[in-house]
Amino acid sequence: MKKEVVEQLDGYQEIAKDIELARKYGSDFTSEKGAVAAYINRLHPARLRLRVSDIFVETPSTKTLRLVAVDRTLPPFQAGQYLSLFMEIGGIRTSRPYSISSQPNQTGYYDITVKRVEQGLVSTYLLDSVGRGDELVSSGPEGNFFFNPIVHKKNMVGIAGGSGITPFVSMIREITDRGLDRTMHLFYGNKTDEDVIFHEELTQLAKRFDNISYIPVIEEPAGAYTGACGYVTGGLIRDLMGDIEDKSFFICGPQGLYDFCLPELESLGIPRRKVRQEMYGAPPNIWQYPGWPENVDKDYTFTVKLRDGRQFEAKASESLLLALERNKVVVPSLCRSGECSQCRLKIISGKVFQPAGVPVRKSDARFGYVHSCVSYPIEDLEILV
Amino acid sequence: MDRYDVVVIGAGNGGLTAAATLARRGINVLLLERHNIPGGCATSFCRGRFEFEVALHQLSGLGLPEKPGPLRGILDQLGVTGKLEFVPMTDLYHITIPGQIDLTLKPDRAAMTAELQKHFPHEREAIESYIQLVYDLFSQVLGAFFFRDPEVTRGKYPLYFQYALKNTQEVLDKHFKDPLLKSVISPYWVYMGLPPKYMSFVDMTAMLFAYLEFIPFHIKGGSQALSNALADTIISSGGTVRFNCGAQKIVVEDGKIRGVITENGEEVSTRYVVSNASKITTYVDLIDKEHVPDKVFEEMQQCSLSQSGFTIYLGLDCEPQNLGITQSTNFILCHTDSDLAYERMKVIDIDERDYMLLSCFNLIDPDFSPPGTSQAALVTLKYGEPWLRIPPSQYAREKYRVADSMLQVAEKVFPSLRDHIEEIEIGTPLTHMRYLGTQKGAIYGFDHYLKSSTLFIPNKPHIEGLYGAGGWVGYNGFQTTLESGVRAAKAILKDMKS
Repeated sequence: MKKEVVEQLDGYQEIAKDIELARKYGSDFTSEKGAVAAYINRLHPARLRLRVSDIFVETPSTKTLRLVAVDRTLPPFQAGQYLSLFMEIGGIRTSRPYSISSQPNQTGYYDITVKRVEQGLVSTYLLDSVGRGDELVSSGPEGNFFFNPIVHKKNMVGIAGGSGITPFVSMIREITDRGLDRTMHLFYGNKTDEDVIFHEELTQLAKRFDNISYIPVIEEPAGAYTGACGYVTGGLIRDLMGDIEDKSFFICGPQGLYDFCLPELESLGIPRRKVRQEMYGAPPNIWQYPGWPENVDKDYTFTVKLRDGRQFEAKASESLLLALERNKVVVPSLCRSGECSQCRLKIISGKVFQPAGVPVRKSDARFGYVHSCVSYPIEDLEILV
Repeated sequence: MDRYDVVVIGAGNGGLTAAATLARRGINVLLLERHNIPGGCATSFCRGRFEFEVALHQLSGLGLPEKPGPLRGILDQLGVTGKLEFVPMTDLYHITIPGQIDLTLKPDRAAMTAELQKHFPHEREAIESYIQLVYDLFSQVLGAFFFRDPEVTRGKYPLYFQYALKNTQEVLDKHFKDPLLKSVISPYWVYMGLPPKYMSFVDMTAMLFAYLEFIPFHIKGGSQALSNALADTIISSGGTVRFNCGAQKIVVEDGKIRGVITENGEEVSTRYVVSNASKITTYVDLIDKEHVPDKVFEEMQQCSLSQSGFTIYLGLDCEPQNLGITQSTNFILCHTDSDLAYERMKVIDIDERDYMLLSCFNLIDPDFSPPGTSQAALVTLKYGEPWLRIPPSQYAREKYRVADSMLQVAEKVFPSLRDHIEEIEIGTPLTHMRYLGTQKGAIYGFDHYLKSSTLFIPNKPHIEGLYGAGGWVGYNGFQTTLESGVRAAKAILKDMKS
């Protein structure tokens, strides 16, 4: 609108006075320079520089790496959250998420506890090649597997399998350190008693604190073992827990644990809203997953073409994200379990296999976007990164 | 160095429509977005089996195909209408003041008038004349602005000249005696952020008119579907969209745009930039100070930062009806003092003094969440400033504490809400700051005072080739930010020709 018209509007004089005052005393936004980034960086840094200050051997196959910040204070986290580590190993830039096993009230460091995965690129590197004093790069704390006082009951039941114990260790340490008015009944399933991580500490804490109980469950116990055997069944939970009404359930471990335990919880009549499930990487042996196309052998390879002309061969059995990383195409990633959507990319032509239940936005699916960490080529592909 | 005709910074509503308009005209456009998805506010996120709508509550200005509004025209031209499913809302809004009133208005002038008259028989004529004024005034606004009358005079548009600079409260007070009615007829002020005392009456008129004439809409798949559809148009029209890649710097030489340096340090050359980033970010963070004319900062002194929001996203394990939720848009007020509600937006705490809105679109869109469940967003406006003062170590605790007290207020109207929460996410002003990159997490741009409006700060380039789009250079809200991008693109097309 023309200035001369605006000047004729009823009430113009008063606003003109307002403007005059504002021009004298109004906000100076130049002081905002860099402010947004600085505030966000305190809580949610994109990247953290960490130094390994200590290494603890937990079991023959597991170590805890203690990580301190190189150039800042560590952002706070909630017990149960994870870090994603970013590494370059043998020319491959990749990442892996690890739950923080230290407690959030311990603000000087983050512990991550790494278990050896057979032929695992990253676990091998972290366990064999990383030493005290080495630097690592990570994301900030991420993830949604934590106690939420708004909805969760103060009586928590934890079900862990294998290295899925780590978030629970953080939770239990926080409860005992801070004297929180919360209980944790932890069922911890493992194949053999040699696999059990943090056994001594958990046993001691359960002895010392009435609000912590620890029930190891061993699938293939050795001779002298006297504890619970087999799997974490609904019957076991009911027998030891009694009233399950006033409890919230947290479960973290390999796919097999979910496949077995989630139906068990359901059979106890525990509603879905009371069960919180952590991610645990992409499902193993994807070619055995329900819905995998019969005519695609796991050893098949397909051509993946990028818009910029690059192209490479990718195995059907390997996630598109990993294939991209192997071929030096950098795609952002965090959870590598299908949830966080960081590794989202667009399939222009060709098909990928995506296991059921991956939370992809409806409109992403409609416009051809997939989460590449849980997408497997089953045809030649053209993609847009 | 890559060369583009236009670089658009930010894939919010304005950035998306700007890039889409240009791409469809064959312009070589690059859209930079720091997040991994398009949309800005117009996004969604998944938790468990729910996909939460972040920001869209009631889409205005779309209209039905047989009675299209201005937004439908735009979306048609961008080729996205066919890719989307729009669901008209059956209610304008449901408003509850516990113990005082509980009513639902329909998005229809006659029905709204009748319903209000039924509840406020003593204000019968006043209701009629108020709504008449809304229509009369807005048709003058349309004539003067939408149809771009080259000669705007008091003779032709007397109501406009009379009301253009009036605040809403003055008009409400003149028409109505009953404070309850004043509240019930004006809850939409929260969609722009300033209470009736400060909100321009023309803005209130425009909003009410748009919703009554063109019906509020919901989009299937949420606003993310619209953002994805627009991004799809850009890509399929030959434009380039780069996610996970923000802009680090806008390069200016001799008062003219020369290029953009991306987050990864890559420089692209261009003569035109559309910035969908906050106006402060654009001029303070992206452009070196010596290239910014003093006038920019002088104008910005007339402005103050708008609110951010505090939102609880709820995934509920039952149908909305089981919770007593029977309408899509529910304003919850516990009193009629809008000035008090506004003052509350400056503090962290939430209690009965805060106005809030609960939106639940399962009632009109059964696919909004899985069968047997529902999804609701409970939102109130809060200025971001006090949230910045919370030490990081206390942040989570404050977030839970405030969310808990907010739920307590909502439970006065929907008592069993808390017993059905399967998924919950809490968005604070810091969350908005993180995802939008705006100062203090502002979601509406600058406060929409008249003195800061386009009447007094025209949205014109201060640097040759630099155009603004989005809520920082005009109105906030979906319709207007979507329109702003088209306007920026058209200005560039015009400039390219000359």
